[in-house]
Amino acid sequence: MSLRATPFHARAAAANRGNDWLARNGVTLARVYDDANEEALAARFRCALTDISWRWRVMLEGPRVVEFLGRLVTRDVSQLVPGEALKALWLSDGGGVRGVGAIARYGKETFLLISAASDSGWIARAASRFDVGIREIGEGGLALIGPHAGAILQAAGIDFTLEPLALRKTFWRGLDVTLSRFGEHGGYEIWCDADDGLVVWDRLMRAGAPFGLQPVGTQAMDILDLEAGIARPIRDYAPARDGDAKTPTPKSLGLEKLIDASHEAFNGHGAYLAMQETRTLLGLELDSVALAPFTPLWYNGQIVGHTLTSLYSPALRRAIALAQIEIFASRPGTQLAVTLSPSAENPAFCNVTARGTGLPFLPAPLQP
Amino acid sequence: MSDCDALVIGGGVSGLTAAAYLARAGLRVIVAEVRNKLGGACESIPFGESFHAPLTQTLYALDPRMVKELKLNLKFAVRDMALAGLRADGKHIVFSRDGAARSIAVHSQADAKAWKRFRRELFSLARDMRALWWEEGTLSVSHERLEPFRRLSAAAFLDSWFESDALKATLAFDATETGLSLFEPGSALPLLWRASQEMCGLQGAVAAFAGGPQSLVQALLEATKVDIRTGASVSRILIAGGAVAGAELVSGETITAPIVISSAARRRTLNELLPTGAIGFARADSMDRALAQTGTAKVVLALSALPMFGGVPTTGRFVLAERLESYAAAHSAARAGRLPDELILEATTPTAADSSLAPIGQHLLIASVRPVPLAMNDETKARLAVKVIAAFTRHVPGMHVVASEVLTPEEISSRYGAQDSKMNIAQTLASWDERLRTPISGLMLCGENVVCGRAGRIAAAMAIRDKT
Repeated sequence: MSLRATPFHARAAAANRGNDWLARNGVTLARVYDDANEEALAARFRCALTDISWRWRVMLEGPRVVEFLGRLVTRDVSQLVPGEALKALWLSDGGGVRGVGAIARYGKETFLLISAASDSGWIARAASRFDVGIREIGEGGLALIGPHAGAILQAAGIDFTLEPLALRKTFWRGLDVTLSRFGEHGGYEIWCDADDGLVVWDRLMRAGAPFGLQPVGTQAMDILDLEAGIARPIRDYAPARDGDAKTPTPKSLGLEKLIDASHEAFNGHGAYLAMQETRTLLGLELDSVALAPFTPLWYNGQIVGHTLTSLYSPALRRAIALAQIEIFASRPGTQLAVTLSPSAENPAFCNVTARGTGLPFLPAPLQP
Repeated sequence: MSDCDALVIGGGVSGLTAAAYLARAGLRVIVAEVRNKLGGACESIPFGESFHAPLTQTLYALDPRMVKELKLNLKFAVRDMALAGLRADGKHIVFSRDGAARSIAVHSQADAKAWKRFRRELFSLARDMRALWWEEGTLSVSHERLEPFRRLSAAAFLDSWFESDALKATLAFDATETGLSLFEPGSALPLLWRASQEMCGLQGAVAAFAGGPQSLVQALLEATKVDIRTGASVSRILIAGGAVAGAELVSGETITAPIVISSAARRRTLNELLPTGAIGFARADSMDRALAQTGTAKVVLALSALPMFGGVPTTGRFVLAERLESYAAAHSAARAGRLPDELILEATTPTAADSSLAPIGQHLLIASVRPVPLAMNDETKARLAVKVIAAFTRHVPGMHVVASEVLTPEEISSRYGAQDSKMNIAQTLASWDERLRTPISGLMLCGENVVCGRAGRIAAAMAIRDKT
């Protein structure tokens, strides 16, 4: 039995100096190549290459695919033209968030769904009601993030003019690849055949060398996600898996902007409208470098919510966290208190102050 | 302006009752029936000239309030059919209202003693259930005593009371109507449910109308004047803004209506007539999982003489089932698509009490055989008829069969629109709201767990109340 690896594993292994790995969606990924903070800064201020082959992707095909997606996801996909994408949620019958992803139109009757976590059973069963075929895609994917991403693509010989939330198939010196811009960090993704993976990696790294391009691991990407204020499934919340689940609610995850309430056909629409959620998603800047993941939040002597993931932000030079918090305590600037659990460095409970911050913490890395 | 105030899908007893009550409330009602005849499961099986073989031979849950309020003119051929178990050894067992204990004692003295207590207990539990099934809005009654029955199988329930196979196997037949196996958790509930119904004021009674069940349909039609469209097949139910808006027919015609009451089965209404996925993917999946895997076949025999089974009243219903284990074997055979080696069936000879159903001197024997596979080819159908005839000629050696006809479960559900789902045990102890309402505002169901007419009456009442 061999490792379940991505098409880029050989190169990742060569570059992974700390031999630091993790598994995500069943594939092995470099967690940190050398130094996570340094990698996160590289992605923000120079350029970074990261393996995104772990993302769950399904191709949906059939004459009724538009009707199907109209029922499945929280926004209307019928207006998309081939090459365009949108972001949306899909909900359980009770209105709980089952998934969030990008839906890209490939053709008249073909769409691609891409998401951080798999929900194949639900989507396959629903698709079969519309005679929509569903096929998981296993091609490799690399994301180029940072201010120099476009310039590197140009140096590598790929036409990089592409709007956000768009995709284009292109022929790149003998290889069929797809260039897309689905990511939250303003960069580009290149999708290629698994067999071409190493060639694509090498070409990009070579073209990026003058720009200081370096591979970055999942830890650095988590930092970027957190700075962008994105709550991720598995990491921050357990997606609804029961068909009638009412939680997690879109609002408690800051995802209600991905719902078009006037698009009334989607699954869970009635339950979503009837929801009375009192919590919302807020950013927290901690007055400490120690992290406070999944910890109660105090405000005026009462618990008003709790934190989700907490990480050190090298760009902000402090610990930050996402928090689910009662709306009345969610105004940016509100002073809150967090109790830190004992750790090796600080073997006692201690309270630190935290400030509510609007999301995102930081804008996406600039594109020149 | 809508075409009507309320559209009723299906012109069976439930649909016509709903239509009658809506019309009484002053609503303009249209009934859309797919066939050219009304009655659904109350129709006659086409079977030779001058025979009227009713598809439904026994009625056990006619809503007495409906009979009274709609002033239905009904005549009964039999008011309280005795249940009898025909035994291979000739020691038939008869559960008449008064003389059951004597008949049971032949098989077991202990059972004969337990019988009276069993009846008292069963009827007392059934009275608790009546609160859930009889009237709308009487849900304050606690049904805690019924809760353990959600997990109790009919086999375990009967085993806990009795020892003799003759008794258990005969009583068990009524629990299998719902498509559940006798050994499935919750299958004891249908027995209570049956006991909680009444006919002609008698709890747990089973009756037959003079002229067959079609006479109930006639009485309903006389009692109500609504716009009935036969040959009107609904292709889909229309929705606008989360509420029902009417229906479209196969012919392309649209009937707009702010209220739609469907007497089609729950799954057909919600998963097939509504736009795909409209009720929610999880709910749609759970209904598909509840599809019945076995069904009931009807075998109609025309006989030259009335068959007599020693000591058994000819106006009763006869169950053929040797042991509880026979049900398990039959259920697994039927699920696997095979005809069971030992058939389990209930039969009546409706002509014994109502000679209008057959030409003079001829008789009908109608058998409901279950469980059997849902679909059967012609060869299997012929084999089924032969097996049913053989089962009866064992008891009546000289029985002469003039003609026979077999209807498979699939044929019954496609021709007469009978439901194709297993009984949902949770629904047995649910409120009418849960049973009849749908996630679509204005759309009601009235065809599930047919309690002759009552679901129609209550669905109509709910729809009228919602509107005002």
